[in-house]
Amino acid sequence: MKKYTLTAVSIVSIAASLLWLFGLGWTLQDQFTANEKVEKPREKTESASTEKQDDKLTIVALGDSLTRGTGDADGKGYTGYLTDRLKEKTEQEINLLNSAVKGETSRGLLKQLQQREIQRQAKQADVIVMTIGGNDLFQQGAALESLDMNTINSKRQLYLSNVKKIYTQLRDLNKDAAIYHVGLYNPFSNLPDAKTTSSIVRDWNFQSAETAAEYEDIVYVPTFDLFQLQVESYLYTDQFHPNTEGYKLIAERVASLINFEQEEDES
Amino acid sequence: MINLVRNEMLKLLRKKRLYVIVLIIAFLVPLFTYAQFKEIQDQREKLGNQDWRTVLQQEITDTQNRLSSSRIQDEWRKYLKIRLSQQQYYLENDIDPRAPGAPTFMRIFVENSIDLLLPLLVMVIVADLVSSEASGGTIKLLLTRPVKRWRILLSKYLAMLLSVSFIVLSVAVLSYGISGVVFGYGGWNMPLLTGFSVSGDELITDNVHIVPQWQYILMEFGLVWYVCVIVGTLTFMLSVLLRSTAAVMGIMLASLIAGAILANMVSSWESAKYFFMVNLNLTNYVSGMATPIEGMSLGFSMSVLAVWGIAGFIIAFVTFSKRDIY
Amino acid sequence: MSQSPALEVENLTKRIKGKQIIKGVSFTLFPGEVFGFLGPNGAGKTTTIRMIVGLISPTSGTIKIGGRNVRTDFTEAMRHLGCIVENPELYPFLTGWENLEHFAKMDPSIPKSRLQEVITLVGLSNRIHDRVSTYSLGMRQRLGIAQALLGRPKVLILDEPTNGLDPAGIREMREFIRQLAREENLSVLVSSHLLSEIQLMCDRVAIISKGSVIRTDSVQNLLAEQERVIWKAEPLPLAKQLLSEETEVTEGADGTLITLYNEPLLPDWNEKLVKGGVKVKEMRTQLPSLEDLFLEVTGGESID
Ligand SMILES: Nc1ncnc2c1ncn2[C@@H]1O[C@H](COP(=O)(O)OP(=O)(O)O)[C@@H](O)[C@H]1O
Ligand SMILES: [Mg+2]
Repeated sequence: MKKYTLTAVSIVSIAASLLWLFGLGWTLQDQFTANEKVEKPREKTESASTEKQDDKLTIVALGDSLTRGTGDADGKGYTGYLTDRLKEKTEQEINLLNSAVKGETSRGLLKQLQQREIQRQAKQADVIVMTIGGNDLFQQGAALESLDMNTINSKRQLYLSNVKKIYTQLRDLNKDAAIYHVGLYNPFSNLPDAKTTSSIVRDWNFQSAETAAEYEDIVYVPTFDLFQLQVESYLYTDQFHPNTEGYKLIAERVASLINFEQEEDES
Repeated sequence: MINLVRNEMLKLLRKKRLYVIVLIIAFLVPLFTYAQFKEIQDQREKLGNQDWRTVLQQEITDTQNRLSSSRIQDEWRKYLKIRLSQQQYYLENDIDPRAPGAPTFMRIFVENSIDLLLPLLVMVIVADLVSSEASGGTIKLLLTRPVKRWRILLSKYLAMLLSVSFIVLSVAVLSYGISGVVFGYGGWNMPLLTGFSVSGDELITDNVHIVPQWQYILMEFGLVWYVCVIVGTLTFMLSVLLRSTAAVMGIMLASLIAGAILANMVSSWESAKYFFMVNLNLTNYVSGMATPIEGMSLGFSMSVLAVWGIAGFIIAFVTFSKRDIY
Repeated sequence: MSQSPALEVENLTKRIKGKQIIKGVSFTLFPGEVFGFLGPNGAGKTTTIRMIVGLISPTSGTIKIGGRNVRTDFTEAMRHLGCIVENPELYPFLTGWENLEHFAKMDPSIPKSRLQEVITLVGLSNRIHDRVSTYSLGMRQRLGIAQALLGRPKVLILDEPTNGLDPAGIREMREFIRQLAREENLSVLVSSHLLSEIQLMCDRVAIISKGSVIRTDSVQNLLAEQERVIWKAEPLPLAKQLLSEETEVTEGADGTLITLYNEPLLPDWNEKLVKGGVKVKEMRTQLPSLEDLFLEVTGGESID
């Protein structure tokens, strides 16, 4: 019996040595010789269902740090509170897909929308919420880079053209979903330059709303008024992003816009 | 020679070392299986019963958000960036690199154990291969036979190779067998991408191609075996040089752990890439991870390891053939 | 002793870390003889033996086993050698049988049947399939000898083979060694720091001290040279006076007188004593112990 074990272990070990040696050889051959490139985006989408799931309400969140929830102590952001609110209102299961990236600009979002997975998510969405533009206008939350009208105009033009493309793209992907584009507030409304900055933000919002109006079911949600009077109590310590209270305000406003019955009917 | 190797295998088996190693693996695998299982469950809870694409996308978004933080360390940023591009690439090609299944578990397990766990197990077997004969005095009987010394050492070396193969095989069989109970045994033909290379903080995908998971696993196990053989050879050399098994283990343990630590912090100390212990993570090159130090590649790491291994082998044989045995 | 030597050691020296440990040792073993290698601890016995069996390389000098040079023809030389250096260290986790099998496998010229032969020879048949870790020292010693005899060697080298054995074990070992030399025509080199051992076991002896052989001779010769006569006589002072006129006299501890042994003159000395009125109660010859011998050849250096 003992002899048998010895022989068995030895033979198994020899066989294993050969196997691993073969694996090693294959690695060398595979890694060090040129291989044909992957046949690019294969159309195969076995389980990639783009079908909407009827039993769920899918919210796709896109955009920048606001949608991500930067500054919220619980890290939920307005999307999180929005979901909480909606859950109270309905029995339906809610599925939140948050693909927002901190510091995202309109250009970045447009690029992100080219990704297959983001597209797939957009197709599945019942509701799309997004914040975009803050990083186009404000400089990393510091302040307005310059108050020079020319600079701002050219920034806005660029932004508007991107936003148009974003809207078009989203509509192409998903004809039915309601899109809520949450607008900008002025985080600097208690600073010396408040008058100028507020006017710039207002103008920016106005133009954005105009653009949104050109599309079906795209709602540009104003937030300017929410933060206008008590801006300090709604801002995070960075004096730029909303705090928990600020996010709750935004969530409430968006929640009130989402008409449930209608969404359900549509889906 | 066969008889000599057989003798060595007999001693190895009788010392029950192999047995203990197999037990250790059999104990660890369920542990990791459970951890993996928990992770999957956790993810399900957080994101609902989602398509893997959504999960991966969430991860990508998370990584992007982390990257946008300015406080992030350069090193880490580079690592994340490369990971990000790779995940993106997987997503674009509609391949789930982590579809649960025993083969996937096997692959992940071996990728994570190549730089520390497996070398440690190998070390436990090899450390006393020669030193125990010296400290036990049996070397006097062994070397007064009508057999040349180098042949005796070679038989020990071959026994070392065989036991390394055996350990790697045990890892393969046990990780497949045990994790399959939880994850199922399928998934051998799942496509995976390999051939990534890294330059600076860019992921180069020129040579990326698809291989079925079974081939991928076989390739990775080949590399794991290679690493274990090198670590085995170096331990073997120490075992020849030192009488005390504890000293051999101590030195190897220190270098392996130092390697694991160094790999995380040596990026600016460039010549550290010539240490064997920062080059152990060969599977990272196959899966396309960031290298600890600029300019490292599969070819480089394998060569560094080969040089160390050959040097260790020569030192072991030269000393052993010449040395006075007191 | 006209046969060719089984083991020849010539001018062997060894220097370790700049210290000369063996300073030119030479001796020869012939088939069938038991050769003693006698010296105090630290004299260099083990070091010399390690060189003979090829464990350490000599700084200079040649060693031939069965005519084969250990350094240039290692494998052939080792074929004719069996040894135990210091303690019989075998693999404790293997059985006695597995240990023997292990060493037998290393020399393809050893047939499988030889295992049983040596086991019977050393009388270990009962316990051979037990693990060595359960063996007593005496059993290990015997297993050690069994392993040394596996290859039917011409030369058997045993380094302090009776170390740690009880008196019965020592006697058994002694008889066994003599028997091997007699029946198998084996040359046995036995080292020891115990004089009584060597005296009882060996045909010839080399006395080694501080790395040099200071004397090599047959035990008979060495002893004969130092043979003495013990006298018990009354009255003692008179006897001593009369004897000292003829030869050198020393006084023994228990009221005896000791003179050298001189066969032709002995009757005359006796007659002189009797005539002088001394009662000679006892007169006997005594072989000295090697201890005395050692003291004499080494010039007073003590052992142990
Ligand atoms: N490895 C070594 N390094 C230095 N000195 C040694 C070594 N081995 C033995 N010696 C010295 O050589 C001398 C002879 O030792 P040894 O041959 O063991 O004596 P014996 O066996 O006759 O008791 C001792 O003085 C010992 O100290
Ligand atoms: Mg000694």
